[in-house]
Parts: sequence; structure tokens; C-alpha cells
Amino acid sequence: MTRNTLSVAALAALALGLPAPAAAQTYAITGGTVHTLAGETFTGTVVIEDGRIAAVGPDVQAPQGAEVVDATGRHVYPGMFDAVSRLGLTEIGAVDVTNDAREQGGFKPHLQAATAIHPATEHIPVARANGITLTMAAPQGGTVAGQASLIGLDGWTVEEMWIEPGAAMVINYPGLGGGGGFRFGRRGGGGGGGGWAAAQERHREAVDRLDEWFDAARRYDRAVKAGVDLPRDLKNEAMAKVVNREMPVLLSANGERNIRNAVEWAREQNIRFVITGGREAWKVADFLAENEVGVILSGTQAMPSGADVSYDEAYANPGKLHAAGVKIAFATFNSSSSRTLPYEAAQAVPYGLPHEAALAAVTRNAADMLGFGDRIGTIEEGKIANLMITDGDPLEIRTQVTDLFILGRGVSLDNRHKSLYEKYRARPRMRVIS
Amino acid sequence: MQSRPPRAPAVPPGLAALLILFAAAAPAALEAQPRPTRPDGVRLFAIENARVVTVSGATLDDATVVVDNGIITAVGRGAEPPVGAWVVDGTGKSVYPGLFDAFTTLGHGSAPAGGGFGGFGGFGGPGSGGAQEDPPHSWGPEDRPGTSTWLTAADDIDGADDRFEEWRGAGFTTVLSTLHAGLVPGQAAVLNLRSFDRPRQMVVATPAAMRVNLQDRARTFSGYPGSSMGVFAYLKQLYYDAVHYRDAWAAYEADPRGKRRPEWDPALEPIRMQFAEAWPAFPADTRSDIGRALATTSEMGVRPIVYGAQQAWAAADLLAASGVPALVNLDWPEPPTGGDPEAVPTLSQLRRYDRAPTTPAVLAEAGVRFAFYSGGLGGPDEVLPAVRRAVAQGLAEEAAIRALTLAPAEIFGVADRLGSIDEGKIANLIVADGGLLDEETRVEVVFVDGEMFEMGGDEEADEEEEETEAEEEGEEEGEPGDEEVAEDEEEDEETEAGPRRGRGRGGPPGRGGRGRASGPDPAAPPVPMSANTGPYRDDPVTLITGATVLTASHGTLEDTDILIRDGRIAEIGTGLSAPPGTTVVDASGRYVTPGIIDAHSHMAAMSINEGTVNVSSMVTIEDVIRPEDIGMYRALAGGVTTINILHGSANPIGGGNAVIKLRWGADADYLLIGAHPGIKFALGENTKRDRDPDRYPASRMGVQDVIRQAFLDAREYMAEWDAYEAGGRRGVAPRRDLKLEALMQILKGERWVHSHCYRADEILQLLRLGEEFGFTVRTLQHVLEGYKIADEIAAHGAGASTFSDWWAYKVEAYDAIPHNAALMTERGVLVTINSDSGEEIRHLNQEAAKAIKWGGLDEERALRLVTLNAAIQFGIDDRTGSIDEGKDADLVVWDGHPLSMYGKAVRTYVDGKLYFDIDMDRERQAAIEAEKEALIEKHLGANR
Repeated sequence: MTRNTLSVAALAALALGLPAPAAAQTYAITGGTVHTLAGETFTGTVVIEDGRIAAVGPDVQAPQGAEVVDATGRHVYPGMFDAVSRLGLTEIGAVDVTNDAREQGGFKPHLQAATAIHPATEHIPVARANGITLTMAAPQGGTVAGQASLIGLDGWTVEEMWIEPGAAMVINYPGLGGGGGFRFGRRGGGGGGGGWAAAQERHREAVDRLDEWFDAARRYDRAVKAGVDLPRDLKNEAMAKVVNREMPVLLSANGERNIRNAVEWAREQNIRFVITGGREAWKVADFLAENEVGVILSGTQAMPSGADVSYDEAYANPGKLHAAGVKIAFATFNSSSSRTLPYEAAQAVPYGLPHEAALAAVTRNAADMLGFGDRIGTIEEGKIANLMITDGDPLEIRTQVTDLFILGRGVSLDNRHKSLYEKYRARPRMRVIS
Repeated sequence: MQSRPPRAPAVPPGLAALLILFAAAAPAALEAQPRPTRPDGVRLFAIENARVVTVSGATLDDATVVVDNGIITAVGRGAEPPVGAWVVDGTGKSVYPGLFDAFTTLGHGSAPAGGGFGGFGGFGGPGSGGAQEDPPHSWGPEDRPGTSTWLTAADDIDGADDRFEEWRGAGFTTVLSTLHAGLVPGQAAVLNLRSFDRPRQMVVATPAAMRVNLQDRARTFSGYPGSSMGVFAYLKQLYYDAVHYRDAWAAYEADPRGKRRPEWDPALEPIRMQFAEAWPAFPADTRSDIGRALATTSEMGVRPIVYGAQQAWAAADLLAASGVPALVNLDWPEPPTGGDPEAVPTLSQLRRYDRAPTTPAVLAEAGVRFAFYSGGLGGPDEVLPAVRRAVAQGLAEEAAIRALTLAPAEIFGVADRLGSIDEGKIANLIVADGGLLDEETRVEVVFVDGEMFEMGGDEEADEEEEETEAEEEGEEEGEPGDEEVAEDEEEDEETEAGPRRGRGRGGPPGRGGRGRASGPDPAAPPVPMSANTGPYRDDPVTLITGATVLTASHGTLEDTDILIRDGRIAEIGTGLSAPPGTTVVDASGRYVTPGIIDAHSHMAAMSINEGTVNVSSMVTIEDVIRPEDIGMYRALAGGVTTINILHGSANPIGGGNAVIKLRWGADADYLLIGAHPGIKFALGENTKRDRDPDRYPASRMGVQDVIRQAFLDAREYMAEWDAYEAGGRRGVAPRRDLKLEALMQILKGERWVHSHCYRADEILQLLRLGEEFGFTVRTLQHVLEGYKIADEIAAHGAGASTFSDWWAYKVEAYDAIPHNAALMTERGVLVTINSDSGEEIRHLNQEAAKAIKWGGLDEERALRLVTLNAAIQFGIDDRTGSIDEGKDADLVVWDGHPLSMYGKAVRTYVDGKLYFDIDMDRERQAAIEAEKEALIEKHLGANR
């Protein structure tokens, strides 16, 4: 493995796992195979300046004074984007007080993940070490959970991390059927009781309530724009961005029927959205393609959706969607396991997803789907510099990430795990004084 | 009934064709006269000119049956009615033995309904029968939870139970009445549905059986046992205790001086008194339920009766071989109504609907003794329609009648007095206007204990029929038809969300109903079953050629052949020749590894935790293996061939584990592979968290204390047995205590400890405790901080089984690092990586590869983490875990490198049998879909 040539000061900071210095740095990554994910792969140079990719190409020269990172024999890719996660919002799953992803209530569009993101979480350096550079940290719970924040995974403060604090609205589409399904019958139980008719009624009511919130936001927005003197309403203000198509929606739906219903509802509401979850999206792949709806998949390494469903349903789901022309991205929806994002994508490859498509689905696709494709996702001039250097295919387990650049800054690959490993690996042989 | 006046004098319309005569009068003269009314107190009857279905022998035409003072005194053709007899003209009529409902709660209220059953630990809603607001808490078998064996259904009969008359009206003269609240509620009794001054006059025999419930729906207790495996362990202990009790009291009573008096125990008295008679009646529906009932009762030393048995079509061989009779619940399962119109039942559920009515015919064919019971049916008048469905599925009418008469009498040991029309037997008879199984037939007269009851007419019957059809929407009463023997079959019950025809939200209105009325043609043959389990191929000799073989024991062999013969690896080499008849598998460009072994799984079991007590070493997963778990097949598709099913981590000392091979489709006992017995221990957060009621311990100090105290008890127990053995086994053997027996086995090295643990400190404490008691902890499970004390673990000799990269889900997992496996390996610990997950088990090869990435293991050592090392940890490395000649042919063919994201299992062999094949899987999946389509069309079609 070739050592890079970061400055001594930078190396010192990195060794401590500290966030990179905020001062803009110029880097030139030379000699590596550059996979731009914008259609080209070549051996060449990437120049990072002022946080952005200043130049990229086979014949680009390193500017004067740039830190040169020799990537000869290695590969340069866009950093990976965990399209929905809870990074920074949770520390220890079982300890409630360390969890900030979920607020009370069913309708909280004005709440923003960035408010609660903990820049010093141990989870971020762990994810980073496997090449995760970006995420949409998302709140959860309720029908409208709040706003997800698009962040780069480096910074002393959340302000240094964020690209867009109010990046997308998280809406959990009210499902029909609950967990009840076939159990709604004579032997009863499931889905809140009351049988199928009651389940339909509950669903209608939940969707009606959602529609009412959208209507209210439209009325509010029209009134504000018309100069009506109104008390400021934080919820309507936030929702106005959704109804105006300024803010995209992460619309969760997993079952076939719920996906269909969610898409039809979102089209009626004329919002920008992607489906998140998408467990049975393969069953409606053509429908999604026709409607140009993208899907952020919540798990390829997941169980089949029913007892008689083929073992590889989840493995094959991404490939089937891709073949139908649906744009897909992967996400962990998690924090501690954000580092396994590349494996969620790779798992789909032997089951039909082309490797290139899998790579795109952990780098650029989510950015494109959510309207950030002009700023992140590929190695192109002018884009925010999120990239990784690896010794091989970044979706393969044994591949090591050797260098990482987030928001234009060279960042440390050190983390809690590495330091514990090194500490205890260096433990002297056991000794007992008797 | 006691207070009811004698039947109205008017002859009911149903009897219009029935001439009732005094034999002394001239028939011709009487025809013109009004029919006389039968006075009370007649004890001598003669049924003349009837077709008599004796059941025990030939059916007689134009025969007479004489009943005198409750007994059948004559049966035959042309017999003259005795003088003074009340004569029933049987011309055109059929006489049968009275019907016998082989399993009821008549006289003892209803069992609580089965709906809303929430599994163990969360028993369903409040029950109606015997439910207690604040039931006693049980801390172990000695508290005799839910056990009232001293009660008998012959006692305390509710004489006002109007079901007595209802049942008699449908032709039932006899029932087995059971108590139903608790686990072993008491002794069942055979009752005759006669009139009485005192209800005990109904009793024909008691005890006739000892009813066992595997769930205490009535909530007669809380606490132990709180799981199915706890229930099995409890039942075994109860019977062992009864044996010991019998011997201890016998010895004491023979010479009490100088001996401590045994503890009197009302729960054991009846069991010791009635070992032979009081057969436990076990609920068992499916093949594996029946297998479990047979295995458990065999350990208990008794022979059971099984009840439920609707899916016994798949278990006739087991019942026939064991001679165990079955009580078949006639409440055939049907699809629920009013549900999500797009939801689809599972294949397993559909097959239950389809096959249940075939069970009687299959049992009859196999020579299994069986009887019918009304179960959860709406009422006794639904019995014959349900029996007709069994007849339509091939059950001979004679066998059907027998299952309603003589068969239950035989099963309950009263065939010498009941069940057929023979001289000397109790006069329980019915007179019907046709063949009993003909739809139009009405039962007109019922004799019980020689007492004659005349039935209502057509009008009433019609009303009842309407009620029957209207019943379907109603919630059923929890009669003994609702036994749910498996607690964890959620997957089976679960629906496939799969909307089969996509449509907009809400779906069209008015498509909710699936009426019972429009069910399938009862005579339609069952839908042929696709081969959805079992191996794809079972070739005597298979040659895999040209593969890259990762042996896990002696490196990687390029371009190598493996010859499989009789389930074993016969030869490994290059250019091996195939004997004639060999199946050759070209694996060039492919990789072969040993079958993967998951060292920590919780699949394929009905229950996982018996967390009601802090030491539950009496339970074992082996009692509750669930071989229907589709997770096994899914794991095969990930190259897994063997799994270690562990008890959960709710208590410091859990229960026994089960190491099984994934012989998908085989019975539970055939899955077990004779690994060294083991037991689960647990330390840390899961064992000490708050519980209701409070359960010691609440700290790691207490965890240590619980384990130490348990071993001190076990030492005493061992000493007691050692003394007994040393004394030539004279006198009464010590009480066999399943809890301490398992711990004693640990002390003797006969059972290995596999302990859940996280933090380095708690791990160290367990190792030291093991050393204090002279045993080696076999494996540390999870052991996420094992890397901190790898030297200590290695020095103790424990193995370690960890996750690849999970962390931070709880405080004790916050110091977990993905380098754990590699670092412990480096320090000399025998390490495995496990799944603890039905999902992760499907790619353990990838998880092993993570130890290459994090910590730098070489390929072979990484592969061993999920193969050979696991085999060593469970004592099965002489048979599996690596590719060596002589070992079982547990092999996986991969289409790419297995320590990679891109290599996938394409063939998985267990014992040389091909249990997964990626291409044949497609065919199987298509066949399953086709079968489901046919089943859905048949059972739901009319309403879809």
C-alpha cells in the first residue's frame, strides 16, 4: 500500500481521529484509476481546492503548493452516500437517552435532524473508515417525521458538516392493512382489530388527515405570499417547501399495495419524492419506471417478505428494479451499521444488478434523485469534493479504504474500533502476580 | 335436566311414522286407536324390525334390540319382544350405538377462547374458565403450576349445563368430560348423558384420561413454565416426581421408623395411583406436534392419547408404529372470512384447510385407532356434517361410525360396557330414520342407560340448521378444539402481503367475504402437494470435478475432484474416475467449501427463552425443535448445513441447546446429530434487567451468585447420587431433578457450557467460576470484549463465538470491534463467527471474510471461523466442518470465491444429499406457486 503524502500537521490530526482542519486545503490526487461515476474511468489526477473538485482528468497537473496524494495502483471513487441513516442521532440503541431520532407526535414537519446531530458521535468515524462520506440523517416516527439533513461526515460542528440542513421531508405513508392481512378473519386479531372494513377506514382517515395538512400548508403559503399578516406557523412554513416542490419527500412504503398507493397519493399532491424501503418494489417495477419514481432501498440483506416467498427476493429486488429502468439507491437506515452500505449493494450483484449500477446506487443516485446531483455524487469539476481512495473494488469486503476526502478535507480513518484494536493488540501477555 | 318435567305427552312430528305399542295389545286393533303415551318409569323396551348397526359385528336387518333396566339384554333377528316391553317399531329405521363425543368439557364450563393467543409469556386475553385475577406465581416445578391432578371431571359436575341435553338431542349418549384450566387440570371422566337426580349418576368411568394442556389459557398461574420447552420439562419432571413419590412412600410405609417422612403431594397422588389408567391426553395437531408428544411421553414413561390431530394425515406412520390413538377434532380448519381480500394464506395454512378432512381416512388406512370429537364446532349438530366431509374424502362409513362409538369406548377402556350394540352392554342407542351419515337422516329416539328420549321434529331441526349456517361470523367458544400446540408459528400464520392483483388504495368495496357456505366441493380430492421440502437429489455416488477446494483443514486445492459415496467424502484428488452410475457435477471455475456451521442460531424452535426463573437448566431446545421452519431452507441457500440452536439469554443459566443438520423436511429427531450435549448460560444486561415480578439477580454480582449457588446445589445432588450408586443402588433412588441433573452433567464434563457474554470483566468471572468448580467453559458466545482478555480465554481453554461487526446496540456492546475474531485467533483462542439471526445466517461466508479485512486473517483461518472451528466447538469435527476423506459430505459449491461478496452458493449438500440447487430451486418455487394457485382457487376461489 502506497502511503499518501499528507502534511505532518494533517497527519497528526488524523492520527487522533480529529476532524480535519477547517482551513481550505489544496490536494492533488495523482496516479490513481479515477472512477468518476460520470461515465469515465481513467488514470489521472483529481485536484481539490476550496472544498471542491477544481480539476479532474488524465492530463491534469497538480497545482503549485498542493498536497500531493500518490494514488498509483489504487482507485479513486466518489465517497459513498448512505442515503438515509441515523448517524449522529443515536449512540447506543438500547439506551433511550442517547437516541434523538424520534420525537413525539404524528406531524412534526418543522423538526430538523441537524438540530440534534452529535458531531462527536463514535459512529461517524466508524462509518467513514469504510468509505461512507455523506448521509441523509433522518428523523423517524409519526406520519410526518421531520426533515432529514444532508451532511458530510466530517466537521467540528454540524454547521461544518451540513450541505443542506433541511434536505428532505420524511413522510411515512399510512399503510393499509397494518400487520393484519389474512388474520383479519373469524379468528380475529391483528391490524388494530375490527376487520378489513375497519382497516380500510383507518387508512382512509390517516390519508385524509395527511391531505388536510397539505391543504393547510397551501392555504398558509398562498396567504403569506399574498402578504396576509399571519402569526408565524412553523409547521405550515416547513410544509410549504414540500407543497412548493422546493423540498423532496422521503416517502416510506414497503408492501406492493402501499407503494402503489403512496405513489398515486404523491402524484395527486404533486410533490417531489422518492420511495424509501421498497421491499416489494420489484412487484411494481414497471409502474415505478413509468412514473419515474426512484427508490431508496432499505435492505438487500433482508428476509423474504413471506413464508412462501423465494429466498432471494430481497437480493434480486435491486436488479429487477434496475432492469425495469427504476433509479435506485441504497441506505442502511441505521447508524452503527452504516459501514455495511457497500455490502447492501454488492449483495445484489450476483443476483442481477450490474456492478456499475450498484456503485452508482451507493454514490450518485440518491443525490440525483433528491436534487443534489449538481453538488455531490460524482467526481466532476465544480462538485463538492467527497471521494475515497481504495485498494480495490469498494463494494468488496476485503477492499481497504486508504484515504478519504469529505467536503474537500482530507479526513482521518481512525476511529474507536481501530484504537481499541491497537490498544489491546499491544497488550502485553497476560501476567498474574501471585 | 333434573328439574325438567317428563317430555310432553304429544308425539312429536318426528315420530309420526313411529308406532309405539304395548306388546300386549294386538297391533291391528291399535292402528285405529290414538297412540298411547309412554308412561314414566318404563324400563323394558324392544325395538323391532329395525336395521341394527351393532358396530362390533355384522349389521342386522329386521332385528330386535331388547333393553331391560338400562342394559341391552337381547339383540337379534326375529327375537320376540318380551312381555311388558314398550315396543318401538323400527321398520325403516336404523339403530346405532349411542354416539360418543371423545373430548369435551361438558359439565365443567367452557375453556377460554383461543382467539388472540399471544404465545408464551403473553397468554391471551382473560379466560372465562378458571381464570384468576391474581394467579399464584410459580418459581419452579415444585410449585405444581396449573396442576390439579386430584380433581376429576366426575366430581362437581355442573348439572345445569344445558349442553347435556343439546348433545343428547344430536344423538350423543356419552362424552368424555375433561377439566380444562391449567396444564394438568385433572382426570377426565366418561359420562352418560342420562337424566339424573345427582349428576354423579352420569359417571361411567373415571379416570379415563389425564388431560394435558401445553398452554394455560385460563391463567391459573404465572411464572414457570413460561415457554413450550418449559412445559415439556415440567411434564417430565411431574411424572418423574410421581415415580419417586410412589417409591418413597412405599418404602416409608413399609418401615417408617428412622426415616424422614416424604413430603405429601396431592398432585402426585393420582399419578402414582393410576399410572396405567390415566393416560395423558396430549394436544398435537401436526406431524411435529405428534412427534414431540410421543417423544415427551416416552421420556415420561407413559403412553399418550393425542387430541387435535387434524393434520395427522402426515403422521399416520408415527401413530401406527407407536400404537398411540388419536382424538380427531372435527372442526375442520377453514379460511377466515372478512379479511384483507388481497392477502393470501401461506402454503402451509392452505394445505391444512385442504388436507385436514382426509386425516380420518388416512388414519383408518394406516390402522391407527382414532375417535372423533366435536372440538370447536358450533354445536353437536355440526358433527355429522363434519364427519361426512371425512367420508367424502375416503373414510369408510363403517369406520366413521366406529370413530363415533366403539373406538372412543376402546380408547378410554370402557368398550366392555359401551360403544356397540351387544348383549350385556349399557343400553346407549339411537334410532334414526335412515343411515346416520345420510344428510336427510334424523335421530328420532335416543336411549341412554336404557332411558328413552324422543327427539324434536323437523321444524326444530330446520331452525338449527339455519343457525349453523349463520354461525360462521361468530367468535367461537374455546372448546377443546382450539388447541394450539405451537407457539411460534407466526410465520405459518403470517400472510404473504402479496396483493395478487394490484389495485388502488382501499380496494374495491364489498370484497371482504369468504363464505363458508361456498366452500370447496367436499368430495373434491386434495390438491396434489408439490415437493417443497426434502433433498433435490439423493445420489448414492456423486463426483464433483475440477473445483477450487477450500478444505478448511489443509489449504486450498486447485482443480480438484471430490467423490461422495454413501453420504461421506470418499476421496479427494485429481482426475478421480467415476464408477458407473455416478452423478458427475462439473465444478470447474467454481469453489467448494465445507458446509457452513452457524454456532449460534435461534431458528427452528418453538420457544427460545424460559426466562421465568434464573436457572432453567431443566429445559432444552431439543424438546421444541420446529422442523417446518422455512428459515432452514433459506440458510441452506446460503451454504449452511449445520446450526447450533441455543436457548436465549434471559437468565444466568438457560437451557439445553440442539445441534442439528439442515435436513430440510425431516423429522426433528432425525435433525439432531449427536453433538456433545450443551447448555446456554448468560451474563450481563439481558439477565439482570428489570422484570415483573422481580427476579434475582439485578447486578453482575448477583449473576455470579446465581451460578455459583446452582453449582453448589448440583454438587450436593451429585453426592446424593454418587452415594446411591456406591451403595449398590439399594433402597429408594434419589429424586431425579432435571434442573440439577443438567448441572451435574456439567460438573462431570458431560455437558458443555456455551455462555452469552459481552464484557471482559464478566467473562473473566465466569472462567474463574468454572475453574472453581472444575469445568471448562466450552464457548463464550458474542464475547464482544473477548479481545481484551484473549490470553485469559485461551489459557482457560474456552472457545469464542462472536459477531463479525455488530456494535453499539447496547452499552455492553459499545466496545465491540470488528477485529475481535482476528485478534482472539491471533492469541490462540478457537474462534467462530455466528449469526444469531435468521438473515445473517444466509451469508456467514461474507461475515468470515470480514475477519480478513479487519485484523488480517488468512483465507483458511477466516473460513474456519464458520466451519471447522464451529465443528470443534460442538464436538462434531470428526464428522463435519472440513473437507477431509471420511467426513460427512456436507459441501457447498459456490459460483465465485466464497470469501467475497460475489460468490453465491449454487449447491448445498448435506450428507451427500443435494438440499439446495439454485436452478432446481426455481422449479420448486414455481411448483409451490402452482400448488398455491390451485389451493386458493379451491378454498377461496368462490370469493375472490
